[in-house]
Amino acid sequence: MKDVRKQRLLARIVSKPTTLLAPAGFWLLLFFIIPLGVMVVYSFMPRGIYGGVEPGFTLEHYLRFLDPLYLTILLRTVLMAAGCTAVCLLLGYPVAFAISRARRWKHILLLLVIMPFWTSFLVRTFAMIFLMRDTGLINTTLMRIGVITEPIVMLYTPFAVMVGLVYTFLPFMILPIYASLERLPNSILEAAEVLGAKPAARFRRIILPLSGPGVVAGSLLVFVPALGSFIPSDLLGGAKQMLIGNLVQNQFGAARNWPFGSAASFVVMGVVLIGVLVYLRSGRGEVTTALQDAG
Amino acid sequence: MTKGWTRREFIGQGLTAGMSLGMGAALTACGPRRTREPEEQMVGVGALEDELTIYNWSDYIGATTVSDFENEFGVRVIYDTYESNEDLLAKLQAGARGYDLICPTGYAVDVLRAFDLLAPIDRSVLTNWGNLSPEFLGRSFDPENRYTVPWLWGLTGIAYRADLVDPAPDSWGVFLDETYRGKMTQPDDMRDVIGCWLKYRGYSGNSTDPGQLAQAKADAIRAKQNLKSFVSAPVKDQLIAGDVWIAQLWNGDTAQARTEEPDVSFEIPREGSMMYLDSMAIPRSARHPKAAHAFLNFILRPEVAAGISDRSGYGSPNAGAIPLQTRVALTPTPEEFARLEYQEDLAEGTALWDRIWTEIKVG
Amino acid sequence: MTGRLPRWLGGVTGSVLLFLHLPILILVAFSFNASRFSAGWAGFTLDWYRAMINRPDILRGLSLSLQIGLVSAIISTVLGTALALALHRYRFRGRATLESAMYVPLVTPEIVVGISLLALFAALNVSLGRVTILIAHVAFSISFVTVIIGARLAGMDRSLEEAALTLGADEFTTLIRVTIPQLMPGVVAGGLLAFTLSFDDYVITSFVTGSGTSTLPVVVYGMVRRTIEPTVNAVSAVVLAVTTLLIYLADWISRRGTE
Repeated sequence: MKDVRKQRLLARIVSKPTTLLAPAGFWLLLFFIIPLGVMVVYSFMPRGIYGGVEPGFTLEHYLRFLDPLYLTILLRTVLMAAGCTAVCLLLGYPVAFAISRARRWKHILLLLVIMPFWTSFLVRTFAMIFLMRDTGLINTTLMRIGVITEPIVMLYTPFAVMVGLVYTFLPFMILPIYASLERLPNSILEAAEVLGAKPAARFRRIILPLSGPGVVAGSLLVFVPALGSFIPSDLLGGAKQMLIGNLVQNQFGAARNWPFGSAASFVVMGVVLIGVLVYLRSGRGEVTTALQDAG
Repeated sequence: MTKGWTRREFIGQGLTAGMSLGMGAALTACGPRRTREPEEQMVGVGALEDELTIYNWSDYIGATTVSDFENEFGVRVIYDTYESNEDLLAKLQAGARGYDLICPTGYAVDVLRAFDLLAPIDRSVLTNWGNLSPEFLGRSFDPENRYTVPWLWGLTGIAYRADLVDPAPDSWGVFLDETYRGKMTQPDDMRDVIGCWLKYRGYSGNSTDPGQLAQAKADAIRAKQNLKSFVSAPVKDQLIAGDVWIAQLWNGDTAQARTEEPDVSFEIPREGSMMYLDSMAIPRSARHPKAAHAFLNFILRPEVAAGISDRSGYGSPNAGAIPLQTRVALTPTPEEFARLEYQEDLAEGTALWDRIWTEIKVG
Repeated sequence: MTGRLPRWLGGVTGSVLLFLHLPILILVAFSFNASRFSAGWAGFTLDWYRAMINRPDILRGLSLSLQIGLVSAIISTVLGTALALALHRYRFRGRATLESAMYVPLVTPEIVVGISLLALFAALNVSLGRVTILIAHVAFSISFVTVIIGARLAGMDRSLEEAALTLGADEFTTLIRVTIPQLMPGVVAGGLLAFTLSFDDYVITSFVTGSGTSTLPVVVYGMVRRTIEPTVNAVSAVVLAVTTLLIYLADWISRRGTE
């Protein structure tokens, strides 16, 4: 009897939204939002010559961002992240779909997608350098079998940067799309096929609407962190370009301008958050109507 | 040296303020205020602590230095590494504690001293001090060596493949020459790149003069067209493989590459170049000052210093170590030494350098 | 098994998996290469494995990373799932704010997270070590988990839950018996991602780690930043072997459990 009552009590507590929210909310507030708040304060203070900040208030770090120099960097970063998201979607969607349809192999395939990421990203990047450089595996193999006579320059090109970025973020696209497609029973697809729906129609009317939330989530999980990434650009692109990630890193490093580094971060974060809100609003709407259509 | 708050205190206050905004009074009481340790550290008396925490550059110590010290002194050493002065500074300035020995470069010592983060060294226990070459003592970042013990020095020059490049590149101008376009690299580091172009024009590599820096910027952007990439130490692989023929590189890294490929050679450009001196220092927050001093005295022994220099390929400031070294170090001649200039902190000039570096990258 | 899938789909999937694993295969091959630099093949050797065994910091780092990765994945998956449920199932004041706040960790540059957290720990006088690393990892993983689970929750068929409630199950039982099982693929995907994020994190960890608590990426970073030591390739190969073995074991245990 006591057990039952205890369970009831537990039930009432657990199923309240506050209970569900509180642990994660508390964790994020204490260990993310508040420390970040301090950085916001920094971004309005003058820089110290040896790093850190001096007491005072200034808007210079935000105004500095209006300089074409920094706007160019911002624009390049956004374009690169958008390109990476598009390629990841193109490659990741079929893979996610295939995994969601694989019955026994589902978990094995999922692990195969994620396993490469259990080796350090720097080590992986150096392996990619070895593959792509002039005397690397790809070029020497192609030259040996006589396809080419001169090495193809791949390393230190935008192509190499894109390869590195896509490699890094592909699982972020595959996992959420997989999670949303997995609930689609094969029987529905079979029924649609029996009823004469062409593959294109099955995809457009059933699969695509169902995977909508996964695509939205995956695109966010790729685009947003890609904005801050700079290791692929540095090591595979030859560091000849500067991205927002480099800029921020430099400000906390050699440039010793913590407030400008913070301000640059918050400008990007602000732009992204506004974008995400707009995207989510519109995305939600589409998904709901698509589901109603499908239903 | 610093006006008003030190960085550590400031972060404490900033956070306290932030928390009172977000969390109410509950946590505000936690803002700590560390009390200053006494100015003069006397460590001569008493037994060693049984532990020592060293925070050093990666790959920058002899193969058996740590284990030999542990065995002889009965102290357990915790050895952690970092990859740049900036990593070290950011970490210490943000308030990290618990390191007994660190290894900052000269200009980083300036910063650490400005924030009062270093504890003075008790020279009376360093009986092996006399082994140090006077050349490396009393540098501008610590004129009386009150806070630092020289560890290793290095210089930046031009590493090249002698079998592929002729004549030997003896000027920074080689990076402006299209002959080796796409086969050359410079480090991804503003001090190295802008510094070498200042040298090329005959200026100080520590210059903060806007006109001189503008010239350096123009040269750097021209050279960028000829570069395969900006890449630092990992260029060694590509020098050995023959993807890269000419690279601006540090002498120690060149020495490492040379053990694998004997055709990798090194030139100190005729316009001169930049050098640095890394030193061991004890942070104020160190918990094991006695063991730290014991370690400092240990590394001043000629045979220990030779082991450290042999392994890393960088030069030893220990005069007694030179005859004991086994690796043929890339040591400059006295004339070449005269053309070298120490990297110094840029202080107010940092902002201008950063701006120019950004313009080089974007341009 | 996948007989109903169009052939090209299998082709794309195979190619993508090959793309993901090619660098890894290179690593494994190089872990047996006699040359110290990855300039070419210089013969077979086991030297790098021997060198690895003589480096206790690598083994300590690996064990620490596995522990932190597992605990962080569990905590952030539980918290992240709860957060996703609250955000998707309930209407309450401040929901929109909270939802957008959840994206903040995804957008924040790692170095800013690292420095601000280090400053917080320093101000609270918390000594740096495995606890601070764990706190940081959970803090940046929760959002990823929540986004993935949210994608699963959005538009999930609620009729089963409604049926359970109509048939007299209380909300808690419904949650445990009906909702969570339906969410499972999302939970698995989120948990895997959380483990991976923790296991591969360098920038943030390098700030919040204390002396003597270097995780594997911190150790490895030190090994490759200046000189590329083939020992790291041996480490990577061992990590792959260990994780594959663990997965195989887990699979075997779960199969025995269901039989």
